[in-house]
Amino acid sequence: MSEWVLEARHISKRFGGVQAVQDFSLHLPQGGIISIIGPNGAGKTTVFNLITGVYPLDSGEILLKGEQISGLPQHVITRKGIARTFQNIRLFLGLNVLENVLTALDPDGSYSFLDAVLQLPPKKRGERDSKSRGMELLRMVGLEPYAGEQPANLPYGLQRKLEIARALAAKPKVLLLDEPAAGLNPREVQDFIELVYRLHQDHSLSIILIEHRMQVVMEMSDWIYVMNFGKLLAEGLPTEVQKNPEVIKAYIGEEESC
Amino acid sequence: MGISVSVLVFTCISIIGVSGVFLITGLTGMFSLGQASFMAVGAYTSGLLVVRFGFPFPLAAVVGVGAGVLAGLVVGIPTVRLRRDYVALVTFGFGEAIIAILNNLTQITGGAMGLVGIPPVTTLPFVGISAMLSLFIVWNFKFSRFGRQCIAVRTDELAARSMGIHADGIKLLVFLLAAGFSAYAGVLYGFYTTYVDPGLFNWTRSAEWIIMVFFGGLGSVSGAVLSAILLGTLPEVLRFASEWRILLYCIIVLAIINYRPKGLLGEREIFLSFGKGLRKGGGKP
Amino acid sequence: MNIQQLLNGLSLGSVYSIIAVGFALVFNILKFSNFSHGGVLTVTAYAGYLIATQGKVGLIPTLLLTSLAGGVLAVLIERVAFRRLRNSKSPVIFYFVSSITMGILLENLITITFSSNFYSYPKFFEQTILRLGNFQVAVTDFWMFVISVLALSILMGILYRTKLGVAIRALSMDPSTTLLMGAPVNQIIVSTFFVVGVLGGIAGVFLGINYTLYPQLGQMIVKGFIASVIGGLGNLSGAVIGALLLGLLEVFLTGVEGIGSGLAPVVIFLITLVFLILRPQGIAGKIIQEKV
Repeated sequence: MSEWVLEARHISKRFGGVQAVQDFSLHLPQGGIISIIGPNGAGKTTVFNLITGVYPLDSGEILLKGEQISGLPQHVITRKGIARTFQNIRLFLGLNVLENVLTALDPDGSYSFLDAVLQLPPKKRGERDSKSRGMELLRMVGLEPYAGEQPANLPYGLQRKLEIARALAAKPKVLLLDEPAAGLNPREVQDFIELVYRLHQDHSLSIILIEHRMQVVMEMSDWIYVMNFGKLLAEGLPTEVQKNPEVIKAYIGEEESC
Repeated sequence: MGISVSVLVFTCISIIGVSGVFLITGLTGMFSLGQASFMAVGAYTSGLLVVRFGFPFPLAAVVGVGAGVLAGLVVGIPTVRLRRDYVALVTFGFGEAIIAILNNLTQITGGAMGLVGIPPVTTLPFVGISAMLSLFIVWNFKFSRFGRQCIAVRTDELAARSMGIHADGIKLLVFLLAAGFSAYAGVLYGFYTTYVDPGLFNWTRSAEWIIMVFFGGLGSVSGAVLSAILLGTLPEVLRFASEWRILLYCIIVLAIINYRPKGLLGEREIFLSFGKGLRKGGGKP
Repeated sequence: MNIQQLLNGLSLGSVYSIIAVGFALVFNILKFSNFSHGGVLTVTAYAGYLIATQGKVGLIPTLLLTSLAGGVLAVLIERVAFRRLRNSKSPVIFYFVSSITMGILLENLITITFSSNFYSYPKFFEQTILRLGNFQVAVTDFWMFVISVLALSILMGILYRTKLGVAIRALSMDPSTTLLMGAPVNQIIVSTFFVVGVLGGIAGVFLGINYTLYPQLGQMIVKGFIASVIGGLGNLSGAVIGALLLGLLEVFLTGVEGIGSGLAPVVIFLITLVFLILRPQGIAGKIIQEKV
């Protein structure tokens, strides 16, 4: 048994001529919050996609509580306990706010196909239960008043919160947040940090964060991985990473090119 | 000019077919150009069992629907896990293959001359109740955990998988259900007209059903029904020849796509107040 | 399979490859399956018939004029069915409906104009059989092969040697970047549709010659689909290889006792299904992955 809840060992992925991720390893302790930072195109999101099974690994392995999960289909990985949010918000636009959360409860729903189409009592019970669970999750992120709204009508910050509520509905042990604070104003950022801390406590979650806002990263992370060109550039405590000359160089290079 | 009984029967039959297409296209975002072929499987299987082997109608109908679902399994399993285009392409190919079988196994199917002598069993009340039942099933399906997963898959399959949704499984389920609906529509059709030939089940019919779903508004059951009734009866009342009717559909659809892409009703339902009583809240506003 | 069958299969496959490539080109740049291409095949088959009978011209002028007509038709289709969708960034479902509708519209226009009667092309050549040693090839088959190969070579020349070709390839690989680089995307797409229409026109004439003319002729597009599925969706060389294999397989199956030309499509469909289970990525071996 491993002490890590999630572990990536020497994972690599190539797309055509681009080595998106190369020999990258990562360790997430139970209940920890770690961050992956790095310039755009460094391969951070690809790491998330590899962990969640969107792409198959070229080499390496990924373990969840010591169990191999690499090679499993996406939905199985999710149901084993890894949920995520997306950098470019991907909510289900044909469904309202509550229904968006319900989709992550639905695969595990309590009633059968026949109950559903024949409108039998187990369906009514099941629907009632999921809806109250869904509302509870919405309450946690402060979206309860918007349950019947279309997600497209929500402001950006609330859409990000809805993504988190939806991910939580999948009952994750590990939560992957892909730039969750992007596009938020400073007040919303503070609000967001508190929200994540609260959820982290209440659900005994372990979290991996991809984030560009140094304020968020420095304040929240127990440990930071810095990626550049698909490779690990440095890792360490926030204070160490902040002072690392290589990291500073990579970041300043990035700033200039913008 | 009134509407004749046969127009009503055919409209009910197309409501059943459209129910299936609604599940595939409207809810899940896949395209099947072979729905008419599942209809052919249902019509021929049940018709042959009665005409050649003397089966009683109810049993033949059940076997006919079963054969349609089985055919759906053969086509669905290899395709639903791939990019959605494959479903459209392979079902189109399936249509060609079914027509080739019907045309060439002359001893069994009667070939291009068709299968004659099917007893007239289908009546208007029977087909009407069948259509209502199909709608009941589709409506309940849409407003259930299955329907929500379908809509999730339609709008963003990758995100849906990330939520733990078994997208391939859901797609296969919907595909089989729709194949069953189509096959049942075929059974009713054959036992109404007492005669079927391969030319009745070409891709134009499959496409017509997609057009109806689209015309009503993707995602709206009531919209699909409304457009099946409207597009089914109006041309008959106006006495259009069939080619002109289809031409008219096409022009309407192109206009809709260009100027009102949400269709007649968009995602809305017109019977929602009635539906609310059935499913206890949580629907779309 | 004997050499005679090989020759026949290759010439049949060469027409299929023209269909498949036309289908694949649109798939590449707009990422949807273009069912309206079947309509182009039907209309051009009839247009070629009119040109050949009314104009009393030979095969080559017929082909040139028809392919021009096909090009214009495809550009029109793009205008009516897809332009506004692109401008409003509609989801791919709408492209599908639009292209299916366009396919049916064209098929029915032909049915209304010509009714469901059968027509056949005039004989273009005095001599109908060409002897190659011990083997016989129909003259039209021979031309079919030569012209298809020629058309594909010209297409490759365009794709790999001209600015337009570079633009088309760039667009098919990465639409957003191509747009960012300031390429005139509309022009590229319209040009692609023109090229696709030209290919459709050539295929239409040969289909018309090979089979009699009937409004559902455009459903031969299914050959292009199967070739694309075997070759790998959106892969041009895969499509060509898939089409040639399909042509060979058809000729071979037609000669098999108990299958014949009637049931050959059934066997081919089953083979396609098995192929999809074993090798869904197609011969070319690349699966188009969604970007996250």
